[in-house]
Amino acid sequence: MNTVWVRLNAVVFFGLTVLLGLALMTATSTYLHEGHPTVKTLRLNKIKSFRSQSKVDRAIINFDLEADLAPAFNWNIKQIFVFVVAEFATKTNPLNQIILWDKIIEKPEDARLNLKKMHVKYGLIDQREELKGTDVTLHLYWDHMPLTGRLYTHSVAEDTFTLPMEYIRPGQQV
Amino acid sequence: MDIVDKQVVELKKLWKNKRQLAFQGLNLAMIVLSALMIWKSLMVVTRSESPVVVVLSGSMEPAFQRGDILFLNNQDDPIRVGEVVVFKIKDRDIPIVHRIMKVHEKPDGTVEVLTKGDNNRVDDRGLYAPGQLWLQREDILGRARGALRYVGMVTIVLNDYPALKYVLVGIMGLFVLTNKEA
Repeated sequence: MNTVWVRLNAVVFFGLTVLLGLALMTATSTYLHEGHPTVKTLRLNKIKSFRSQSKVDRAIINFDLEADLAPAFNWNIKQIFVFVVAEFATKTNPLNQIILWDKIIEKPEDARLNLKKMHVKYGLIDQREELKGTDVTLHLYWDHMPLTGRLYTHSVAEDTFTLPMEYIRPGQQV
Repeated sequence: MDIVDKQVVELKKLWKNKRQLAFQGLNLAMIVLSALMIWKSLMVVTRSESPVVVVLSGSMEPAFQRGDILFLNNQDDPIRVGEVVVFKIKDRDIPIVHRIMKVHEKPDGTVEVLTKGDNNRVDDRGLYAPGQLWLQREDILGRARGALRYVGMVTIVLNDYPALKYVLVGIMGLFVLTNKEA
């Protein structure tokens, strides 16, 4: 019929098919990639504060983290989102998970983490006043965010500590 | 203008040949309905009312940019911390893609979650409905399971210029109708 339009249509359609095919191949090429990152330490360093404010318990902690997440990278990773999670059970909620600290890592060179006495970004905050004497487990998660393809997360549980039976008064040494 | 004239001639011919007209009309309907079927089956498989979404803001940059497409899954597995989810606030049309930063699960299995964009400085309470502190399970349309880049720019452009949408659909429909090799 009309050659210009037919050809344009063919070129665009073929181009899109090729791009889609390449995207699919990229996505599947790293499907079986197992990075085996090493997490050497993740532990509580210090409970900085622990109090009740506006009817909810909140604690601020420092933590140590030594991990090498560089092996988790492959050519289809745009960024690794690494975060520290506090997990605990209270009377009201059998499961609570709270992100305490997170970081966007865009290059493998930045993936070697060696943090000492790191201050959390977000407080350890309960929904009520039930944190006294609670066992808290720290987990390290890393979320693989691809250029194209599937998103997946790995995690390890590292350290468990118990919050004190009493609130910490400001200035009190612990 | 030559192109337009030819199309008009083709349409006139088509109008005279009723059998051919019916055939081409059915062809067009087939294409539209196939697309609809694929979309609806995806909804069934993923259990999400919107299995594919376009990222509209930069709040998850650099992971997701405006125009990226996300594939969602809304199966019943429990919602956990760190998952990237798409949620909708009541009485607001635009779904938001953010990460879950707090999960509180009750004894009966219901959850209350708080979200935050990776690229935002504060959590999402300011985005929620007035007085709303937590998201419930039913606010969540699905978790992001896969990403495809740039494709969503097409929908963004079409939504920004609605006239373009009708022009494009019209041209495509015309070509399907007048395409004779079928």
